[in-house]
Amino acid sequence: MKGVFPLEEKLVPVVCPYCGVGCRLYIKSLDGYPRGIEYAKDIPGISNENGKLCPKGNAVLEYLLAKDRLKKPLKATEQGKFVEISWSEAIKEVAERLRAYSKDDPNAMMFFGSARTFNEPNYLIQKLARMLGTNNVDHCARLCHSSTVSGLKAVFGAGAMTNTYKDIEEANVIFIIGHNYAETHPVGFRYVLKAKERGAKVIVADPRFTRTAWFADIFLQHYPGTDIALLNGMMHVIIKENLYDEDFVRRRCVGFDELARTVEKFTPEYVEKITGVPAELIVQAARTFATAGKGVITWAMGLTQHTHGHDNVRLAATLSAICGYQGKEGCGVSPMRGQNNVQGACDLGVLPNVFPGYQAVTDPEKRKFFEEFWGVELSGEVGLTVIEAAHAIEKGKVKAYYVMGENPVISDANTNHVLKALQKLEFMVVQDIVPTPTMEFADIVLPAAAMLENEGSLTNTERRVQWSFQALNPPGEARPDWWIVSEIGKAAGFSGDGARGFRYTSPEDILREINACTPQYRGITPERLKSNLAGIHWPCPSEDHPGTRVLYKERFLTPDGKAHLAAVDYRGPAEVPDEEYPFLLTTIRYVGHYHTLTMTGRSRALVKRWPEPLAEIHPEDAERLGIKTGDWIKIETRRGAYPVRAKVTRTVKKGVIAVPWHWGANVLTNDALDPVSKIPETKACACRIAKISEEEARELMKAVPKVIPEFEVVKG
Amino acid sequence: MARKTVFIDFSKCIECRACEVACEREHNGRSFINVFEWQEMAAMALNCRHCEKAPCVEVCPTNALYRDEDGAVLLAPQKCIGCLMCGIVCPFGIPELDVLDKIMMKCDLCSHRRAEGKLPACVETCPTDALLFGDFNDIQRMRRREFTEKAIEIAKKGERISLRAL
Repeated sequence: MKGVFPLEEKLVPVVCPYCGVGCRLYIKSLDGYPRGIEYAKDIPGISNENGKLCPKGNAVLEYLLAKDRLKKPLKATEQGKFVEISWSEAIKEVAERLRAYSKDDPNAMMFFGSARTFNEPNYLIQKLARMLGTNNVDHCARLCHSSTVSGLKAVFGAGAMTNTYKDIEEANVIFIIGHNYAETHPVGFRYVLKAKERGAKVIVADPRFTRTAWFADIFLQHYPGTDIALLNGMMHVIIKENLYDEDFVRRRCVGFDELARTVEKFTPEYVEKITGVPAELIVQAARTFATAGKGVITWAMGLTQHTHGHDNVRLAATLSAICGYQGKEGCGVSPMRGQNNVQGACDLGVLPNVFPGYQAVTDPEKRKFFEEFWGVELSGEVGLTVIEAAHAIEKGKVKAYYVMGENPVISDANTNHVLKALQKLEFMVVQDIVPTPTMEFADIVLPAAAMLENEGSLTNTERRVQWSFQALNPPGEARPDWWIVSEIGKAAGFSGDGARGFRYTSPEDILREINACTPQYRGITPERLKSNLAGIHWPCPSEDHPGTRVLYKERFLTPDGKAHLAAVDYRGPAEVPDEEYPFLLTTIRYVGHYHTLTMTGRSRALVKRWPEPLAEIHPEDAERLGIKTGDWIKIETRRGAYPVRAKVTRTVKKGVIAVPWHWGANVLTNDALDPVSKIPETKACACRIAKISEEEARELMKAVPKVIPEFEVVKG
Repeated sequence: MARKTVFIDFSKCIECRACEVACEREHNGRSFINVFEWQEMAAMALNCRHCEKAPCVEVCPTNALYRDEDGAVLLAPQKCIGCLMCGIVCPFGIPELDVLDKIMMKCDLCSHRRAEGKLPACVETCPTDALLFGDFNDIQRMRRREFTEKAIEIAKKGERISLRAL
């Protein structure tokens, strides 16, 4: 080809910008323009063996070429109408406004980090928020895995996956609960199938008969929101039949007696009444799980997105602990993160209660360290979470929002409430790669470079930190996230040297600063990551440390070093079906789509295959209501109405409706919060259903926010 | 002539359709492998089988269809007259007519990738190894070995149980 094209084609190793598996791939690029992708077959030890990719990974270039990519900073003249401005104007305005709020009342500001961008900008956004004097900083993990973080912290002392994919492959039993593994993480599911081929048993608990359940040896189809009863029922059998690991419980756990007392009443027959799972299946599942020798429990949003999500996770961890499945290879608990950097954003303190490395803001000693490190006085008050912030805006407490790579209008529970709240904001900054429905409320829009258009480190769901290189040129004037946040930091007056300011020249600088203040990342230097493409599992306390595959080999991270077993009595969903709203609504996702469709919605190959949402309804319910596959139906809850086409199928239980949430089904969901983790209950609420005509559906559709909006932009 | 083929193990297919998207990317927006789902219980991918006694090759009046050294049935576009004969005789309904060029199109087992020593894109990407590429006889031999190993293991287990019972 040389001679015809004097430019050289490059193969750049990057990390897939989609889910939390953290697959590696190569981007073929010519002078910074995309030419295609290549599978990373030649890198040993990466999380996607042999370079395997799912459909999203295969279509990775398409969203980057979207026609409506943001290319210039925008300023709103009125709601939804923008004029183009220059970078210097945009940065000056944002910095000045933030500075003013910081002087009056720092807690009137709210910052959103993003699990879809690198560790470095996430570190910077929480540093900016905290240096401006507020701990109001959070990100979308609040809506998916905050109960995992809080629940695992309560039992084991830290909120991360205790093992790696290798351990899933080596396990003898894999218990998948509230997680459609095959559809949400197809490449991760590879490890489950490999274990199964080796002879491992797979137990799946899910309200739907999912693609994952096809591969189950034992399938427990329980009602949404009855996980506590199911887990307690299994532990009842395990304790009663003396199948638990007595030695492990005696040496390394506390609270076993209380657990035994609490699960006493959860006999399989009693649990059958609550969950709808036959008693003998519960007994069978409990025996299979406890006697396998090596077992992994894996979960995702089906377990966490409940008002009792924190307790669900604690029980799952307790089940793993009493069977002795901790601190060993081939064992562990593995929450599967949905976005590629949920773990990293949590690790780097984009949470209202902790500094980087899960160091509590309320701990005076830790605060003192960061006060000296950053050279400013810091607030010791725990900040607001995502949903709390929406309520605080209504009360007039929060007036300014800085949203980096987030889309709360679609992702937050109870959309109509969020829309009302956002209207009341005085000042809002949205930093993103494409227009989102959230942008409608923005005063300033900052165009960011997409993940493949800049470089940095990412932490996948198994605590593996990897470096992704820049493969392509960003469009127009779009800039990397770290550059934007550091410019705003400098303009806001933080121009000190080193860690005391925002004078960075590259993401490597920022990662070195992270090394200095985050104990788990101490040895994960940019040089090491760049030379080791497979990445390093944290904790990695020094530069010569190889990284840690299995956590808690000696002791847990709780103050006394023991696992604190949870004893929880049964609580159902916050809203249960009644006469007015007789159905139970749950949300699901499709394999080809990702979160709020900002990326996959602009990919032709994916939209062609998964063009629209289909609400799943049981044939008997459908017959009673006169609904056939393809009919338009209206789903109504106490919070809103949503028009959608129906799919009559036996995958759901009678009385349950399942809707994919990518297209904005959160207008329906309940924003009741878990008291500890503050996660909203998006996985279960009461609803009613009516058949409607297509015209009515179109009419209703107008009230639902458009996932791919169009805005009026005046060229500057 | 080594006859290589894409072997499809539908018991492993999770219907993620990664193969379709990969094929579409390699072939200018058209996918030559399709995933079918039936009864919401099982799915299976189907592409050109590159048959041993390929009716499409036999029937082609202009010899536009031919075999390469791996045994893949390829189409020479300059010879194709778009008579649809290959499409009519194919039991799997594989060759399609390109509406713009009025010639037939079909799976070429990614000949451009094989020339570089790589596997077809659909096989390379399949997350669950439901698609395998290789010599037909080798794959059959491997499957027989796997089956025998499993059978031996089960037999051993049975022996242990019966010994204990005695």
